[in-house]
Amino acid sequence: MFKQLQRPVSIAPLVTFRILFGLMMLAGTIRFWANGWITQQYVAPKFYFTYMGFEWVHPFGAMGMHVIFGLIALCTALIILGLFYRLATMLFFVAFTYVELIDVTNYLNHYYFISLVSFLLIWLPANRYLSLDVRIWPKLKRTQVPLWTIGIIRLQVGIVYFFAGIAKLNPDWLLQAIPMKIWLPAKSHLPIVGALMYKTWVAYLFSWFGAVYDLFIAFFLINRKTRPIAYYIFVLGFHISTAIFFPGIGMFPYVMMVCSFAFFSSTYHQKLLNYFTGNTGIGRRLIYHYPMQLEMVLPLIFGLYFLVQIAVPMRYLAYPGHLFWYEEGYRFSWRVMLMEKSGNTFFTVKEPSTGKSYEVDNREFLTPLQDKMMSTQPDMILRYAHHLADVYAQRGIKEPAVYAQVYVALNGERSRPFVDTTVNMAAQPLNWRHYSWVLPYSKP
Amino acid sequence: MIKLNRKMAAAAATVLAVATFVIACSKGGGGGTPEPTNPTGFDKTAMLTNYADALIIPAYTNLQTQATALETSVNTFLATPNATTQAALKTVFKDTYLRFEDVSVDQFGPAETALFNNFVNTFPTDSAVIEGNILRGTYDLSANASISQQGLPALDYLLFNPHAVTDFTGTTATNRKKYVQDIVSAMKTRVSTVLNGWKNTYRATFIANTRSDSGSPIAFLINQFAFEMDQLKGPRIGWPFGKQSGGTQYPNNTEGFNTGISVALATENLTALKNMYNGGGSGKGMSDYVVSLSKQTLNSDVMAQFDKALSALRAVPDPYTTSMTTKKPEIEAAYREIQILLTLIKTDVASATGVRITYQDTDGD
Repeated sequence: MFKQLQRPVSIAPLVTFRILFGLMMLAGTIRFWANGWITQQYVAPKFYFTYMGFEWVHPFGAMGMHVIFGLIALCTALIILGLFYRLATMLFFVAFTYVELIDVTNYLNHYYFISLVSFLLIWLPANRYLSLDVRIWPKLKRTQVPLWTIGIIRLQVGIVYFFAGIAKLNPDWLLQAIPMKIWLPAKSHLPIVGALMYKTWVAYLFSWFGAVYDLFIAFFLINRKTRPIAYYIFVLGFHISTAIFFPGIGMFPYVMMVCSFAFFSSTYHQKLLNYFTGNTGIGRRLIYHYPMQLEMVLPLIFGLYFLVQIAVPMRYLAYPGHLFWYEEGYRFSWRVMLMEKSGNTFFTVKEPSTGKSYEVDNREFLTPLQDKMMSTQPDMILRYAHHLADVYAQRGIKEPAVYAQVYVALNGERSRPFVDTTVNMAAQPLNWRHYSWVLPYSKP
Repeated sequence: MIKLNRKMAAAAATVLAVATFVIACSKGGGGGTPEPTNPTGFDKTAMLTNYADALIIPAYTNLQTQATALETSVNTFLATPNATTQAALKTVFKDTYLRFEDVSVDQFGPAETALFNNFVNTFPTDSAVIEGNILRGTYDLSANASISQQGLPALDYLLFNPHAVTDFTGTTATNRKKYVQDIVSAMKTRVSTVLNGWKNTYRATFIANTRSDSGSPIAFLINQFAFEMDQLKGPRIGWPFGKQSGGTQYPNNTEGFNTGISVALATENLTALKNMYNGGGSGKGMSDYVVSLSKQTLNSDVMAQFDKALSALRAVPDPYTTSMTTKKPEIEAAYREIQILLTLIKTDVASATGVRITYQDTDGD
């Protein structure tokens, strides 16, 4: 098994992946910039919801943030060209991840995925063929790499799909076809299929097809015989449809289409590269070997990495209560478009010594997007409450107590009180323990 | 290479076959046999047409007519400023303000481009700057910075403050009269701009777009319902009452402060909102869309809550500034009912219709 993973294969899949990933990230960065989202998400807010343990991450102002995104774009160009590859991937990983850590509001599963993939890329010799690095330093050229260097990308993609599939195995999704039943009627404007969007069976078809697809697609991609149909029909068909039906998910379908392409064999990728470069054959057999010391620790590094990748999506099992309600262990778990949740919050700051109360206008502190994201996610509600306590203390309120009236509607059910209104949120600690102040979920 | 091509050809053929199948199927269901009433479908185009033709455009037309009447009445007052002409003007002014409340929820499309609500109804007005403008006789009413120096709140101050009548006979009378006429005519122009914008181009755009994503008419409507409810809860009722400020009241910050018509305005605002929500009772409103999504109970709860909030508001007499000290329990009750209605719209209705409450367009998953 271990030996099999060390078997040298053509470097071509890594090279294709490097180029496609770079192109996609360059396009994504330009799109993000052009939409004005740098300013909207990283300059305009007055307050940022940081991640636990990453409170030291701050944005760098309008100029600084645009420089960072410029740097990210530059890194993607270097990755495409294969120039200063190791440095470029490291910088890309650090800069991209830093930006994502600024505000929980902007958390997206595929941003997390991009961080992970760029981390993996740092360790992979994807610049050893068809790159400027090789053009400048011809000695670097390799035509074959150990199979596992391609395998870890496939494994990473497989993990994403499989956990996304597992996440869909819940009663709402399978038995009620919710949230599809809620979201599809909003798509009745689509040509041809528009009228079908109100049909219940269509919602069930979408739900079940999505679940089966996510659970099994990786296995059909691994199998040489089923691979072409799995990719060209199902991967492309599925993700192009999601891009049409749910344009709000942005880059996600494209990320998955690009990354799933790595499942094709080395021979296939080699033919593809030859087709574009006009080369014939693979060239002289030059096998890439990791330095001896690194080769010893790499199995340990990646063993640990994938253990974490499996443990993190499972961590929700350690918490009591309904996952969709509490969202404890919800993020970083490949739960994509899984529920319809909206909320509304009213915060009141009270001064115990005078009994005076001050109602908060969220628009004073949060952007509309932050307000929306905060209103359904307990950890953000708590972080915001702490921020309010700080702000009102600065305004001269002595020992401000913060109370929240929150109403949340989950998966098309009626809204219900979400937070215990008698609890002073300013006194609740920020940690990974179960939220005792979130009211328990009960089926209506 | 040959092998690759064959696979690709097979793949392409299958895609084509599936596409044909899908198209064939949907043709059979949608257009082949006449299917006049889709059991669960909903005609969004008819709903939007109803909003444009029966609600929004008529509301702006009424405001335009009323603004012309206001201009006449203002000129009569300015010609002979006294208590009698002022009283006559007050009736017309109040009617104009009420007609504004009917369009307040429509701040999208041409109204958003023109920042209509900002220019016509930013309150509290800035009386100090207004007096400065009058003294100097120079001002730019088209500048965004001037929103609190014009519109209905500025007229409320200029025409109905306790010393208004004497002001119009004093040393600044000439400049003051011109200022009033300038802001009336600026307002009239703005109403016409928005109304023409609707009639000329936006109506067609509005009706043609049956999407629900951010920036679509349906999302605009739901977001504006929520926004107006927020305005009602905050600036119109709650904030002057001291909800934000530990009980310290700000009577000067009420809407229609000098004319003392705050509650009448708030009631009209909410009535218009209810009318918008149920599409004027035409059977082609947002309420009917919600019902078509099998949310019958939610819809009847929302309609009932509109009535509850309205009757709670009506229990508070004008002038609101007096009620703020004499009718505290009634105001608290109205505030509570408004908050319940706000939650129903912002959370339950938004969720049922799959509309995001935020103007910001971003990726999500």
